[in-house]
Amino acid sequence: MPGEPAKRLKREEYKNALHSEENKAELPKKRFYRQRAHANPFSDHSLQYPRSPADMDWASYYPAYAVNKEIEMTEGESHDHDQQQPAPTPHGPISKQVEIADIGCGYGGLLFALAPKFPETLILGMEIRTAVTEYVQEKVRALRTQHLSTNSYQNASCIRANTMKFLPNFFKKGQLSKIFLCFPDPHFKQRKHKARIVSYTLNSEYAYVLKPGGVVYTITDVEDLHKWMVGHLERHPSFERLNEEEEKSDECVEIMRMETEEGKKVTRNGGNKYVACFRRIEDPPWP
Amino acid sequence: MPIPFTCIEACDLSEDGKSELRLYGASGTRLFVQSSSGASAVWPEEADVRNDEENGEGPPGKRVKLSDPVENTSNFSCLTITNDKKHLVAVTAEDKCIRVFSIDSECRIKQLSERCMARRPCAICVTADDSLILCADKFGDVYSLPLIPSPEDEQQPAAPEQADVPEESSFVPSASVLTVHSGRNRKVLEAQLKQAKKGPKKPKEAPTFKHDLLLGHVSMLTDIAYAVVDKRSYIITADRDEHVRVSRGPPQAHIIEDFCHGHEAFISRLCVVGQDLLVSGGGDPDLFVWDWLHYKLLQKLPIRNAVFEFMRAQTDLASTLPEDVSSFKVAVSGIWSVPHAQSDVKEILVACEGVPALFSFNVGSSSTTGQAIALSGNALDVTFVQAGTESTCTAIVSVDNAHMPGSTTEIRKDESAVRLHFFSPQSDGQWTQAAGAVQQAFEGLGGSADKPTTNAKALHNILYGVENLRKRPGSDD
Repeated sequence: MPGEPAKRLKREEYKNALHSEENKAELPKKRFYRQRAHANPFSDHSLQYPRSPADMDWASYYPAYAVNKEIEMTEGESHDHDQQQPAPTPHGPISKQVEIADIGCGYGGLLFALAPKFPETLILGMEIRTAVTEYVQEKVRALRTQHLSTNSYQNASCIRANTMKFLPNFFKKGQLSKIFLCFPDPHFKQRKHKARIVSYTLNSEYAYVLKPGGVVYTITDVEDLHKWMVGHLERHPSFERLNEEEEKSDECVEIMRMETEEGKKVTRNGGNKYVACFRRIEDPPWP
Repeated sequence: MPIPFTCIEACDLSEDGKSELRLYGASGTRLFVQSSSGASAVWPEEADVRNDEENGEGPPGKRVKLSDPVENTSNFSCLTITNDKKHLVAVTAEDKCIRVFSIDSECRIKQLSERCMARRPCAICVTADDSLILCADKFGDVYSLPLIPSPEDEQQPAAPEQADVPEESSFVPSASVLTVHSGRNRKVLEAQLKQAKKGPKKPKEAPTFKHDLLLGHVSMLTDIAYAVVDKRSYIITADRDEHVRVSRGPPQAHIIEDFCHGHEAFISRLCVVGQDLLVSGGGDPDLFVWDWLHYKLLQKLPIRNAVFEFMRAQTDLASTLPEDVSSFKVAVSGIWSVPHAQSDVKEILVACEGVPALFSFNVGSSSTTGQAIALSGNALDVTFVQAGTESTCTAIVSVDNAHMPGSTTEIRKDESAVRLHFFSPQSDGQWTQAAGAVQQAFEGLGGSADKPTTNAKALHNILYGVENLRKRPGSDD
């Protein structure tokens, strides 16, 4: 494809420059991280994921919460004289657990809006597209650099993951208190409905990682998808829908409506936004 | 050349002092049964011969149709006996069909039902009370089907998960013009509108029999196990993405209890040993032994090393090996728990794809080395019987008589290779060829009713699919 290498070269140059000392606090530019809007959740990709939640190297995502503050160099890094990595990151466990997951976080609008609202809670954006994940990670890095004095944004991070396959590799049973599913790919084709982020069978995995009382937040501008998500969550015995009052009094709903990138786009277009939130209820006793 | 038995199952029907053992074998598109009483049968029946025998009295033109006038062109891929030993549940692969058979005291095989699923079943099991068939499919879902559908079940219109997809009588596009779209979505919507002008598309035919969606992975399922411990029932599922999931049994199958994390390659087989141990294996160098009720890894059994050592000791197989064991790969195709009289011995037999041997391991013991049992062909399936008077069990092993031992592609030249082996454990734990009553009873299984095989490629596909589960590096988007 003509033009393709030039584009890649430009992106690489840009990314290298972004890591230099003087640009450290500069926010990344979206245009260098564009990627087509769809990814196939069934394909193998070459994903990195921990064998189990206990194997997850959380400290490299939340260095401020690392248990081992002394930096251990992993084997790979000690041989790696990569000048783009100015400060080695700590590895291993962290002193807190991630409690909020933004699944399909895109360019991270919600993530960056939630971080200051829940300064004591670790929030993880999860995104399947490599370039988009990279953008969010750069933005996290830049925001952390800008807010060194206040330690803001230390609680937000982003990881590339296919959550439809590997959510239980990242989170233990009952670890999360909130899951956001914002403007997911509608997968209009009937044939592709299993690729939707909400389905009866997948809801069991959301119920597994959520603690009782935890909430799944959904928002979309596609009415058809909204009905689908509501239908499948209502049918699942582990969830009950929040009533209007409860929805209104939850500040996350307003943030989700206004702060997500897609949410802003829909507002500009004058489109509708459909919200539905579901609470994880306690498991019944064994029959 | 007869097609090898892809699946075999044996059971003991002895009662009131009358001893009877039965062996069922699936070979290609056909099902064979052999009783130790001498009776035997084949399904589907060879129509011409049987017709004359059984309906000889009627006038030739008005011949009553047999109960099974079926012509089956799909190959059997799974076979299981219900706990009460009255029914046989089988899967034929190409038509995705779950078939339930009854077999009477004279060994006559009668197909009671055939239920074709929307997706190809990869493993089935039957609940402890024999009421439900649990079917795990390649799309990642587990369905439950009544073993014997009741009349009400038959009338149930469609699967519940289809029910909430509104059947649009007047077409409504999935989104409005106000929806924010990517280019692709816009195209899909245009296509939907175009389709609407042509008139509503006929929906793909959904199965009309009762089948309930219990749970699902976003991955290909490879095996399923059902267990009851302290009156609690569990469904254990394994997938191609390294997950072993423990869910509650129906009616609470939507609740995931937890996962057994640790595999790094696909999982192909699960085997519950005793009550509280689970062995899982697949593309990893080790089998994993779990305390599955606490999701804890207890032990790893080095199956790859065992296979490598065995192959290296065989003069004609050693040349196919890589120099280093670390670049050698195995794909576990079967794990079976050996029924020992003393419950403290927990032994398993393991088969790997394209390996002419079985490997025996003691689970939960300090020794993790496997004992190899050499076979005359690649191991395909194993089943156990306990002959009435004998205290030890006999392992009946189906071997690949079509391919060269150690190869999954090269066809044998000699046509006389046996399809079944018989082994018994000795007091020292070693397995030796058994020439007992069991062998005499079953040696002739399917022996007389042979059909020429299909082509080599097709045969390979029927017998060997496990290694295909392995992920190929560099298949990125």
